[in-house]
This record gives sequence, C-alpha cells and structure tokens, in this order.
Amino acid sequence: MTDLEVKNIKKTFRLSRKQRRIEHTDERKRIAVKGLSFTARRGEIYGLLGPNGAGKTTTLRCISTLIRPDEGDIFIDGKSVLKESIEVRKNIAFLTTELKLDDFFTPNYLFDYFSKLHGIDEETMEKRKAEQFNRFGIDKFAEVKVADLSSGMKQKTSLAISLVHDPDFIIFDEPTNGLDVLTARTVIDYLLEMRDAGKAIIISTHILSVVEKMCDRVGIIIDGELKISDDLDKVKALDANGDLEEVFFRLMEESAGELAHA
Amino acid sequence: MRNMLVIFKKELFRVLTDKRLVLTVFILPGLSIFIIYTIIGTVVQTQFTEPEDYETKIYGENVPEAIVLAFDETMNYRFIEGGLTRDDLEEKLLEEEIDLAVIFAENFEERIAERDKQDLPDVTIYYNQGNQRSSSAHNRVSAVMRAYHESIIKDRLDDPADYHPYVLDTENIVDERSMAAQGFAMLLPMLIIIFLFVGAMSIGPDAIAGEKERGTIASLLVTPTKRRDIALGKVTSAALLSLLSALSAFIGIILSLPRLMVADEAMPDISIYGAREFLAIFLLLVVTVIFIVGLISIISAYAKTIKEASMLITPFYLIAMIIGIMNSFGADVNHNPLVHLLPIYGPINMLSGILLFDYSITNFFITIAANIGYTALFVFVLNKMFDSEKMMFSR
Repeated sequence: MTDLEVKNIKKTFRLSRKQRRIEHTDERKRIAVKGLSFTARRGEIYGLLGPNGAGKTTTLRCISTLIRPDEGDIFIDGKSVLKESIEVRKNIAFLTTELKLDDFFTPNYLFDYFSKLHGIDEETMEKRKAEQFNRFGIDKFAEVKVADLSSGMKQKTSLAISLVHDPDFIIFDEPTNGLDVLTARTVIDYLLEMRDAGKAIIISTHILSVVEKMCDRVGIIIDGELKISDDLDKVKALDANGDLEEVFFRLMEESAGELAHA
Repeated sequence: MRNMLVIFKKELFRVLTDKRLVLTVFILPGLSIFIIYTIIGTVVQTQFTEPEDYETKIYGENVPEAIVLAFDETMNYRFIEGGLTRDDLEEKLLEEEIDLAVIFAENFEERIAERDKQDLPDVTIYYNQGNQRSSSAHNRVSAVMRAYHESIIKDRLDDPADYHPYVLDTENIVDERSMAAQGFAMLLPMLIIIFLFVGAMSIGPDAIAGEKERGTIASLLVTPTKRRDIALGKVTSAALLSLLSALSAFIGIILSLPRLMVADEAMPDISIYGAREFLAIFLLLVVTVIFIVGLISIISAYAKTIKEASMLITPFYLIAMIIGIMNSFGADVNHNPLVHLLPIYGPINMLSGILLFDYSITNFFITIAANIGYTALFVFVLNKMFDSEKMMFSR
C-alpha cells in the first residue's frame, strides 16, 4: 500500500459571470485538473511544479479534503478522501501562505483551540506547544493578538498551529510565497527536518529553486495535466545538462504545441 | 459533540473578551432603550401635565359674568380685555402671546333672554391647535361653554328636572391585572422580537460570513470536526449571546416602564406574572432565538462577506418587525393550532397569549416543537452548506 496515492482525479469549476468577464471568455466551465495520478511516500518531499493556474492548488485542496474531486479518488494510508474524510483529516496538515488566522486571538489560544479540535490531551498539547513555540520563537509573541503580528510571525504561528496533531502527511501550497528570506529559510529547514523525521510532504510551487532545494520527487503539472512524475534526479536527467528549468520549459512548449494542434 | 463544545466556547470567548463587542451587544441595547424610553416618557408626561403655575392667557370680548365665574372656578387664567382686530388676534395666537380668544356677541345674555330664533347671538372661539397650551385651553373653555349651554336649556324648561329623563351611570370595573396584561401584550412581543433579531444580527454574520471573509474557515474545515458540530457550535453560541443581548434590552424596557407608562396613569406591574408565565416566556424566547440564529446562520453561510450577510438579513428583519407591529395593534390572540406552526408569527402570538393569560398548553407546545423543528432543519442545511465547497470557497 502506497502512503499517499492520487488516482486519476478530475476537477471542473463553474466560472461565475464575474470570472468570465475578467478572463474575457464565454466558457461556463473550466477543467482545473484532468485525470491526475501520482504517489507520495513517507520520508520524502514530493513537489508539484507548474505555472500559475496549472491546477496545483486544486490538487492539494483535493488531497486535504477541502474540495472533492469530480472523478477519481485519493487514498492516504489506504483511506479514501471521499469516503473517510474525517479519518483522513486526523493525519494530514494543510498549509498555505494564504491560510489566515483569526486576528482577534493569540498564538497561545489558537494552538490550544486547534489541539482540542484534533482531540489532543492536555499533557501532549502543552508538550508540543512548548516544542513548537520554542522551535519557531513563538514564545516571544505567544500572548500577542494575531492582528499585531508581522507576516513572518503569522506564518510561523500558522505552521505551528497546522501541525498541532503531529500529522504524518504535510500538504503545503506554495510554502515560500510572499515570505521574507529569513522566514522562507525557517520554513524550508523545518520541512526538511520533518521529512527526515519520516513525514510525507507534498508541496506545490512555481519556483524551480525551491524544488531543487527541497524535493526528492517532482511532478510537473501544466494545464491540469501531469506531464511527468519521477525522482528529481531522473527528471533533471532529461536535459543533457541536468537543468530542471530546461526540462520545465520544454514541457511547457510541448504542451503549447499540443494545444495549438488540438 | 466534543468539538461542538470547543467551537461553542471559542465563539463565546471571542465575543465576551472583546470590550467593544461587550459594549455594543450587551450594554448598549439595554442602556439605549432605558435612555430613549425614559426621554419619551418624560416628554409625553410634560405634554399631558400642565405646569401648575401656568396662567392661561385668554382674550375675551363681551364675556358674560356667568362665564367669567365659571372660568374662575375651573382654571388659572388671565383675561386680556378687548380691542384687538381679527388679524391682530390671529397673529397673537400664532405668536403664542395669547392661548385662546373667545368673542361673544354684544348684549349676549339679553339676546339669549329674548329667544329670537331669527337672531341667535354668536360666540366664536379662536385657538391654535399647533400649540399644546392653546389646545388644552380650548378643551377647558369648551367644557365651560357646554355647561353654560346646559344651564340655559334647564332655565327654559318648565320643570328643570325634565332635563334629566334618566340617570346614566358608567362604572369601569376594570381588573388591574388584565389592564396591566394588555399593556404588556401590546408592547413586549414586538420589542422582544425586534431585540432578539438585532442581537442575533450583531453576532451571527461575524461567526460564519466573517470566517469566510477573513479566510479562516479553511483552517477549521481541515480539522477532523464534523460539519454538524461546526454548525451546532456556531448556532448555539450565537443563540446564547443573542439571548443575553435580548435580556439586556428586556431589562432596559422593564426599568424604563415606570417612566414610559406614567402618562397613561396605568403603570403595569410585572409581578402580575408568576413562575409559570416566566418559564413559558423563557422557553419561547429560547426557541425563537435559535430559530432566528439558525436563519441568520444559513444566510451568513451563503453570503461571502459580513456586509452581504447583513444586507440579505435585513428583509427578514423587516418582516419580523412588521409582524411584531401588527401584533401590537392587532385583535385578539389567535387560538388556531396551525397558526402556531408559523415562524415568527407563531411565537409572537403565543407570547401575547401568555402575557394575556390566554393560551393553551397544546398550542404552546406546538409553537415550541415547530421552532425546534425549523432550527433542526436549518442546522441540517447549514451542515450541508459547510460541506459545500461552492458555499465555503466561492469568491
């Protein structure tokens, strides 16, 4: 049994009138993900690489049970996100730089709140809180309301709170998006540490350097389709000079050619 | 169920530790009602009671001695003697320099004595209805003129006793309890429904539409919490807070009643109701508030922002207000069991019934059951809405 298996998922969105007007299109539906399949394992970081609007976020949202695929299914430790979503949520964390925290509360309160929602006992909660707050330096602003925190502090708080239940699967949409260099470094280091601790990590990004720095395996997604999914070294080897950027742009060009012929 | 409690506590903490919200949701409703009603009561009282030392200014021409004597007995007044033209008189009335003018025809009493039907003497009263003191003077002078008229008729009869062919006695055997109950039934159901709605409107949209607007709903939805628990946690916490807000408004009403009712000289006493009525009212308020909060929660889950939610809730608030006002000026309590199935109208009608001691236990339980049923339906729908990505994440 694979730790995480994405099996031929498809997802279509209806375009609102407002979206159609903004995008100057008459299409009423948009296929965001077209039959995507890949696997991820514990102890590795899998990176979904693709341009903006390729379907990365939609895929990660399907994995995290926030939205449901129209077709196909995703299995995490053999549990279906469609049929056993509550069980799946017990062992996953979904993070995004866009994931907001309620401004009114303090990191301390929010850590306790989400721990309770995950059913964690008091003793474990306090132990994890001490570890996480110390790890990210949250102790210094644990009693400050989120509204008064800097974006870096918010991101660290968000990371700590998303992992209150010490999940085996960490899904992170654009982990370094909008972060300053120092916070981005903290996040990357932490994810690498988590991988070494045996967690399965899936990230999405459009930044090639992030993939090269972090990922063990990579999937390149273009226009809702997974063009390639393999070990990072094998993907890089597709270019004579081992340049991931070249591979990426070649796949982009091929995809554009296919669209032109279609 | 455990997570429902976690969400319930968080929502209470969110509101009860926010000084601004505590002030606007729990203190201001009661305080503002107390202040507004006290001011209204004071103003009305001032209008109905003339200051004792006020001297009504009456302009008179050819006023008969009998009338002067009657004025002396019935009012504190000062006569301004004749000499004014009609224009001057009107101007002085409008400028409120005089309160009333009464112009009798020359030789008034002699001409009455002549009893010439072709040449009846005139009396003209001028007053300014826009001036409260002038209106009050008009009422008193009119009463004096009616008495004078009666006395003339009596004098003309062979036997003055003929003027009273029968004795009419009117005795108001009002039951103070029923009268007080009428006052409460007219005022309270409308106010209670309005304040329950206002309380729920100030809390409900933030708890759901606010989470969507701030983008914090995803953090909650990705936890292993059943959507039903989220819906119940949000609805029950908002219901409790709305109830507390309405309680604040209710205390404000009760405290301001002595000032508000003094004009009618029928100050209702809340102690006419016993434990049974208070318990019934409390249960009714609870089911009504959960209905309102359920409705507001559905609208908030549909709306993308707090502003949109508030906008969509307003028509429902207006409908509830209209039903409340109609009840205040409406007829008797409706005893048709089917009526008690209606949302908003059913509880208002039942509340009137309880306040008037005119309700049946069966209808009471129909109202309670109907509102619990509606709320259960709302929670079911809300549960589905929390599960709908279109509802939760559409922009």
